[in-house]
Amino acid sequence: MSEPLIMAVPSKGRLKEQVEEWLADCGLDLKASGGSRGYVAALKGQPAVVVRLLSAGDIAEALDAGDVHLGVTGEDLLRERGGDVDARVQLLRPLGFGRADLVVAVPKSWLDVDTMADLEAVAHDTVVRTGRRMRVATKYLVQTRAFFAAHGVTDYRITESSGATEGAPAAGTAELVVDITTTGATLVANGLKVLNDGLILSSQAQFAASLRASWSAGQLAAAERVLRIIEARAAARDSATLVWPARGDAAEAAVVADLVARGAARRPNGLLVPARDVADASLALAAARLGPLTVSRPDFVYDLDCAPYDALRTGVTRV
Amino acid sequence: MRAEPRVPEAALAAIRAPFAGAGVVAVDPPILQPLGALLDVAGEALRARLFVVQAEGGAEACLRPDFTAAIARLHIESGAREGRYYYEGPAFRAAPAGSERAEEFLQVGLEVYGEAGGPTVAADAEIAALSWRAAAAGGRDDLTLWLGDVALFGAFVDALDLEPALAERLKRAAARPRLMQAELARAGGAADTGAEGGQLAATLAGLSTDQAAQLLEEVWALAGVERVGGRGAAEIAQRLIRRAQDARAPALSAAQADAVRAFLKVEDAPAGALETLQRIAPASAGFAAAIAGWRERLDLMTAAGVPVGAMRFAASLGYAFEYYDGLTLEVRSAALGGGRPLAAGGRYDGLPARLGGAKAACAVGAMVRPWRAFAGGEA
Repeated sequence: MSEPLIMAVPSKGRLKEQVEEWLADCGLDLKASGGSRGYVAALKGQPAVVVRLLSAGDIAEALDAGDVHLGVTGEDLLRERGGDVDARVQLLRPLGFGRADLVVAVPKSWLDVDTMADLEAVAHDTVVRTGRRMRVATKYLVQTRAFFAAHGVTDYRITESSGATEGAPAAGTAELVVDITTTGATLVANGLKVLNDGLILSSQAQFAASLRASWSAGQLAAAERVLRIIEARAAARDSATLVWPARGDAAEAAVVADLVARGAARRPNGLLVPARDVADASLALAAARLGPLTVSRPDFVYDLDCAPYDALRTGVTRV
Repeated sequence: MRAEPRVPEAALAAIRAPFAGAGVVAVDPPILQPLGALLDVAGEALRARLFVVQAEGGAEACLRPDFTAAIARLHIESGAREGRYYYEGPAFRAAPAGSERAEEFLQVGLEVYGEAGGPTVAADAEIAALSWRAAAAGGRDDLTLWLGDVALFGAFVDALDLEPALAERLKRAAARPRLMQAELARAGGAADTGAEGGQLAATLAGLSTDQAAQLLEEVWALAGVERVGGRGAAEIAQRLIRRAQDARAPALSAAQADAVRAFLKVEDAPAGALETLQRIAPASAGFAAAIAGWRERLDLMTAAGVPVGAMRFAASLGYAFEYYDGLTLEVRSAALGGGRPLAAGGRYDGLPARLGGAKAACAVGAMVRPWRAFAGGEA
């Protein structure tokens, strides 16, 4: 057998459950191989794919290094790889879960600091007055540096933090933090507030491909199979099929043409419309006395082209 | 780690001669430098370029990215008031991903420390001329000595006679393109009277420092705000007042903003550049003196053998470097382009104080990269 396609998925926590649900919803159930504690799995119906279970951080690293072909991990972790990460990792699809914001947060008691411009001024005051730079606790060094530089903030020092970052100001090891937050509750509980323009990245889980991995024709073909299923499932979730007894007159043609202009696609017995347009479409058809109308949700919608796969193939050949 | 090839000894001797012959003490600072102290001086932006090392249980150190901070520390520790230091050795900077640049490279250079209030013009001219001679000794014939002056922009801002807060901001923005853009973009606009926290600031402004701090403590208590982070009530109260004042202070006028833009764009043969700068700046004794100082520097450099035709003056040269506060200089080769100077240096009077040394020293320095200067070297 030729070399398998390696796909990495998170090995623990809520993210693991969400990825399993998403894959199962696509009909690509994960099947643990090598016992229940195994860190290798198979993907239902995809014999050419080997799934590795890794931590989200290790997946970002493995995608960047080219140790795996495909993987699911947080965009925050991918962006932290530094340099031109887009030249090394191709984002294929945002998954809508694992949402978290990377933000700049300062003590709530700093009533005089609401924006990055305020922070710049205070940071400068601090270095002039005390000769020492303001300390920023974070584990996101790369993104902190880029964001602060973009806002002209230079008078600061990073204190690397590997856990409980939000507690650093209270503990006295830093004045402010750059950290991931979902609801902001942890920051508030630690006496911190997010700056008005302090959102560095609105992150979510991403299905991504490594452009640095070695891609054989067989591995690309395996990736295309998986990607087409994933894209077809995503397209299906966003569409509905409308079927009604055709009348074949000009009024019907006019209604159909109007709906097509608004994003619907013709199908043999009716239309495929974006899910959010179903109500409007049903009203338009009823107004033209076309019906009864049957609305059903498709399981998969396979388009001729698969944009993420085309992008992957182009990216792989360019590298 | 990619290392540079060696420069042939004869070529290296020629390049080193101008610096080594300038009445100097040769020093050899440690390759390993304390990481924290270096980042304090150079800023976090440098971190991505540093090789960081740490022994088990030890403090973080880095391979020296250049010699300036290391020699400043040697000078401070020596307790001497004056010093002329020559150095030669490898320095280390990580290349960005995908770049083929050497990460270990040879630097030779000179750092000159004098008494506060020493003869800055002569010292500037000397270091620029030595840099030129050392770089030119490598045998390239496509060299240009680029000159700039961070302090000149300060003198220009003073000549504009702005509100102190605005002048301060503008000087800080010189090294920070995004801040400068924001400042120029709000030029000609009305003052912002509805700044956030304006009411609190107005109340605080009418109180003594102690009373203001007390009021702020009460505001925190009422809002259930727990005090974390190192800043005290008095400091925050004072800045709230200042921020409100700054917001009320007028922005640059459209004409002033145009003058700032024109100033920073100036790039010409030195004589022409100085004339243009003088035309752009409002008449002021301070700025006229700064320009006169530059005419003197140019005369001294010419006398020391720098061809007039090889010099260019760029008003915004060297702002990217955090610690320069006066003269900035680079020797560039047309073949290598602006991004890979053969020599670079400038004035950094403020640096020793930031490392815990004497305030307001008089310090200039420059380094040459022999492999770039050598005509048969970097291509």
